[in-house]
Formats: sequence, C-alpha cells, structure tokens
Amino acid sequence: MTTKVIENERTAMSQHITRQPDGPGKRIGKKGEISFLGKLAPGAAKVFRERLPQIQAEAGSWEDGVGTVVDFRATLIDNDTRMLVTIVYDGDFKPYLEDVLSKAGPWLDQVFGGFEGFKGVKDRKSVEELVANTHFECDLFYIANPDVTARDVAKMQRLSKAVGDLLDAAN
Amino acid sequence: MLKPYTPALDMSDIQATVLRPRPSPYVGEYVVLRIDDAAQGREMLRRIIPHVAPADEWWVPSLPGWLGIAFTYQGLKALGLPQASLDSFPVEFRQGMAARAAILHDFGGNAPSNWEYPFGNSDMHVALAVYSDNEQHLGEILARAGQSHHDLAHVSVVYRMRFNELPGGRNPFGFRDGLHNPHVEGSVAEEDGFVPAASNASIKAGEFVMGYPDELGQTALAPIPGELRHNGTFVAFRKFHMDVAAFRKYLRAHASSPEEEELLAAKMVGRWRSGAPLVLAPDHDDPALGGDATRNNDFSYADDMKGLKCPFSAHTRRINPRDALKDDVVNVNLHKFLRRGTNYGSALPEGVLEDDGAERGGVFLLIGAHLQRQFEFVQSQWATDGNFISHGAEQDPLVGNNDGEGVFTIPKIPVRRRLHGLPCFVSVRGGEYCFMPGLRALQWLARLGDNAD
Ligand code: HEM
Repeated sequence: MTTKVIENERTAMSQHITRQPDGPGKRIGKKGEISFLGKLAPGAAKVFRERLPQIQAEAGSWEDGVGTVVDFRATLIDNDTRMLVTIVYDGDFKPYLEDVLSKAGPWLDQVFGGFEGFKGVKDRKSVEELVANTHFECDLFYIANPDVTARDVAKMQRLSKAVGDLLDAAN
Repeated sequence: MLKPYTPALDMSDIQATVLRPRPSPYVGEYVVLRIDDAAQGREMLRRIIPHVAPADEWWVPSLPGWLGIAFTYQGLKALGLPQASLDSFPVEFRQGMAARAAILHDFGGNAPSNWEYPFGNSDMHVALAVYSDNEQHLGEILARAGQSHHDLAHVSVVYRMRFNELPGGRNPFGFRDGLHNPHVEGSVAEEDGFVPAASNASIKAGEFVMGYPDELGQTALAPIPGELRHNGTFVAFRKFHMDVAAFRKYLRAHASSPEEEELLAAKMVGRWRSGAPLVLAPDHDDPALGGDATRNNDFSYADDMKGLKCPFSAHTRRINPRDALKDDVVNVNLHKFLRRGTNYGSALPEGVLEDDGAERGGVFLLIGAHLQRQFEFVQSQWATDGNFISHGAEQDPLVGNNDGEGVFTIPKIPVRRRLHGLPCFVSVRGGEYCFMPGLRALQWLARLGDNAD
C-alpha cells in the first residue's frame, strides 16, 4: 500500500516525475534514467577488469559522440557474478537506441560484452533481449537542473567563456 | 521512347504511390472502406487489383490515373489474415496511430478524440488513394473502384475526401510543396533522365520497401510470411487542417513590412514561397531557383552551421537536417521517409486575414519500412521537441503542436530574435498507420481462405 505524502515546506520542492513515453525508465524534465542488472558469463568479469583502463580512457570520446549521456556507471557486483549499469541521459531512450548503437557500438560492446548470452550490438535481436531481460526502472530518482541537457551545458560553457572574454577585453 | 528499366527494385511489384510523384496538376480522392465479411472483402480486393498501379507503369498515357491501396491492422484482420501473421506486424502498426498519441505529441486540439471519423476508429479498414490529372479521368477510376464492391453488402464506404492541386502547385499557406524526397537506391534508372542532386545522397531501398537491404544492412524479416511482406511498406497517413488566417495574422503582427513578413515566413519554413532554399537565397526569394528542380534541392547546411541563413528550428531544417547534425549521435539516414502529400480545399483569397471557416489543408502519406524510427522519430524528436538543437521545448514553428505559447528562435548577429506566442498553425484532423503491400502480396491476400471458404 502506498502512503500519502504529507505536504510541508520540503515537499513544495518535489520534482514532477513522469515515465518515458516510449520505453523504460523514469523521467524528470528532459532527463531520463535506465539501469541494467544481469548475470555475467563465466570469466567475463576478469576480461572486463583487464580492459577497463582502455574502456575508461575512451569513455569521454565515445560518450561525447553520443552527446546526450549525463552520467554512466558500470559496476561489478556479487563477487564478480553480476554487473550493474546505470545511466542518466537527455530526452527519449527508445527512439535513439538505433543511432546510439550505430555510433557507440564498439564501446558499448566492451561494457556490455560480458552479459550472459549477449552477442554484441551488431546482433539487434540480442540487444533487444538484453534490454528486455536486464533493464529496470529505479524506485527513487532525483536530478539537478532537469531541464538543462548535456548539450545545453556545453553551449552555456561556451557562452560563459565568451562573456568572460568580453569582460576581460573591456578591462 | 523510354528505354526499358534495369533497376534493382522490382518496380512491377511495388505500388506506384510508394515510388512515384503524383501528377501535376492533380485531382484525386481518398476513400476508406470497412469490411464486415472476410470473403466479400477478398472479392472486392480481387476485383480492384487490376486497377492498382505498379511503379513501372505509372506514366503509361493510356491510364487515366492511378490507384493505391493500403490496409490498417483492423483491415487485415477483417480480411481474415491468420493471427500469427497479424502478430508479426510491428507494435505501432498493431496499435494504430491514435494509440501512439503520447509519443506523437497528439495532445489538446490534435488529440485523437478530436479526429474526424473514421480515424482512430476500428471502422477504418482499407484506404484507397486515387490520383488523376483531371476530373473526367478521376471519375473513371472512381467508377472502377466503386464497381469492385457495389454489389457487396458487407463492404461499405465509410469516408470519402476529395483533393486537388491549388494554383501554382502551392500549399494553402502559399508555399510550393512536394519538392524534396530522398532518392531511393535502384528506383530510377538513369535512362529515365533523373539525376539526383549531388547533395541528395541515395538511401538504401530497404528503408522504404521491404525485401531489400536497409541502411543497417538488414532485410526485413517481419511481417510474415515473406509473400505478404515482399515489396510492401508502411504508410503514416496524416490529415492536417491549415489555419491560413492565423499564419498571415502572426506574420503581420511580427513584421514591420510586407518584405519582412515574407522573410519571417521563409525563416519558419526554411524555403521561400517559390521553394528557393534559404541557405542558397538568404535575403530574398529567388523564383528562378525555386522553380529549378536541378538546383532547388542541391544544398547542404555545411556553410550555415550557426543557422544565420536558415534557422535551426525551420521546418525543413528540423525535419530533414541533411548534414546539419553530422557531429551528433543521430544517423540521419535512419530517419527518412517518402512524402506523398496532396492538398485539399480552396485557397484563402490573397490578403484575407480573417478565417472563413473553410476546411483546407494537406494530407500526408509518409512512407517507409520502419514507422518507429522514421515517421515516429521525426515527429517526436524533430518536430515536437527542441532537444536535438539545444532549443529546450521549442517545437517546429509550422507543424509543431504549439498551444499559443510556442517559441521560435531565429539566429542573428549581434543578437538572436526570439518570437513568442506561436499558435497551432496546423491541426491534426486524423491519421492512421497502413500497410501498403506489393502487387503479388495483394493477390496473396485475395486468395486467403480459398481453401477454407
Ligand atoms: C500541414 C503540415 C505541413 C506543412 C504546411 C508543410 C510544409 C512544407 C513545405 C512548404 C516544405 C518545403 C517544400 C517541400 O519540399 O515540400 C516542406 C518540406 C518538408 N516537409 Fe513538411 N509540411 C507539413 C507537415 C509535414 C510533416 C508532418 C512531415 C513529417 C513528419 C513533413 C516533412 C517534410 C520534409 C521531410 C520536407 C523536406 C525538407 C527539405 O526540403 O529538406 N512535413 N514541408
């Protein structure tokens, strides 16, 4: 049974939570979330650890290519038998899946490659099964600045630098 | 004399509506049928098939025009398609367009509850599109279509809608339309004299017709069986009302001269009324360019990455970004469709700013093998969202579901111009997803149940 929220000065700041219109996950403003939790194939955790420095070092480049990922974590859990991946991103999930797979496929293969039964992003059926079998929606979700996207932040940084340069020049 | 085709696509099996532009000038009619008895439905189909135009015969001058035919999920069910086959269709087709309202942003005045009958209703089974070059010919084809079911009590006409070209090939807002379509690989032989613009790259045929490899190198495996799927495709049918008076009033209120009104209108569309693209003619309309089919599509956004000529938010730039998003995750080739639009109603006389209450607008047939990543993606990500261009919730100024609070950003130096208070210039009157089979698949459908009945 759900209990009722008792209104107070804190609940006045509560964020409006919806769900993704077409696909899994909660949503606040422009931010969506999705997580994956699944069993790893035998030996997969070891391979992941070995490759991790390279995967980590390339994360910035691949994710920058995608341009909508705010936060991405992959964690080995349960004595290396399972992996948890949590992602916060801008906009919708499902409509962009195909584009993300085309753009960041090689990197995603490195991250998700150890999930039991997963045959790699080239095999779209396998991707569908992976998503269907391992995804889940979080119970509690908070996000700062829900209406500002990763792209907006980059734009604001450029703008802020331009304003700074202008003020410096005026000095 | 036209030389014979040597195309990769089986043009004799694909419906003309998929691959061929409509005649100009055109008159035509959309007809919707309901089938209450599968055997009678199939009898109607058997009779109508000889009149369905394949893509290789579309120009044959002896034909008075052509007829296209497509089926909704409910329609395929009514024809007695086995459940396993029905289940193999993609989810959006099985649900129908009305059920996808949340994804398509069909809210408020555009909500399915405000649509015309039979859109969004399970009575919509078979959609016929009849195109012709004059009234007499149209009458002839309609008569043939009528004969296919006049004596079948369980096949009924539930909707008829006439359409016709407006003077000068303009849409009711006054813009030339039907200018751009992606070039389908293998669909037009060079003997036909067609040379696609250099900047208009060929797209793999499997994006638009099932049975051929698509942009991901895949060939469709569903719906089953292959006999039904091969050379077939999907159509997103959308009927729009255009509020021409509201559009003119908005321009008048936000511009200080007739020239500025024209510029503002062009900024919203991305092309001038003549069809001349803003990136090639940034300051003034250029009717010669607009009317030149070899030049009016030969452009890219590479020289306009700041949107100073054509705003990021302009209709054509949003909905067909060409190379404007090349640094983004998006693979634009996965989000194309063929557009076979027609206009309906009369033109609102020049200069009139008050609505005369007349129904006028456009019907769009957005055709492709992947409704989800084509029509639905473009509608949800590019037309009704601003995320992909860092424009927050800003929607397409022309076709967005703006509710009187719409925003339109025009990049400019030294400061951008941002317009507020955009209303809905167009409203959805109805829509549906249809399956448009190849000609052999039509025969296959007509033979369904031959053993059972
Ligand atoms: C009543 C609604 C609409 C109006 C008044 C309208 C108007 C126009 C006009 C004037 C053009 C430029 C000329 C041309 O190529 O046809 C155009 C282009 C286009 N429209 Fe629309 N349109 C409408 C709805 C839609 C919808 C719903 C879609 C798809 C979801 C769409 C997709 C396109 C595409 C792909 C182009 C080609 C862009 C290019 O030239 O690069 N339009 N539209």
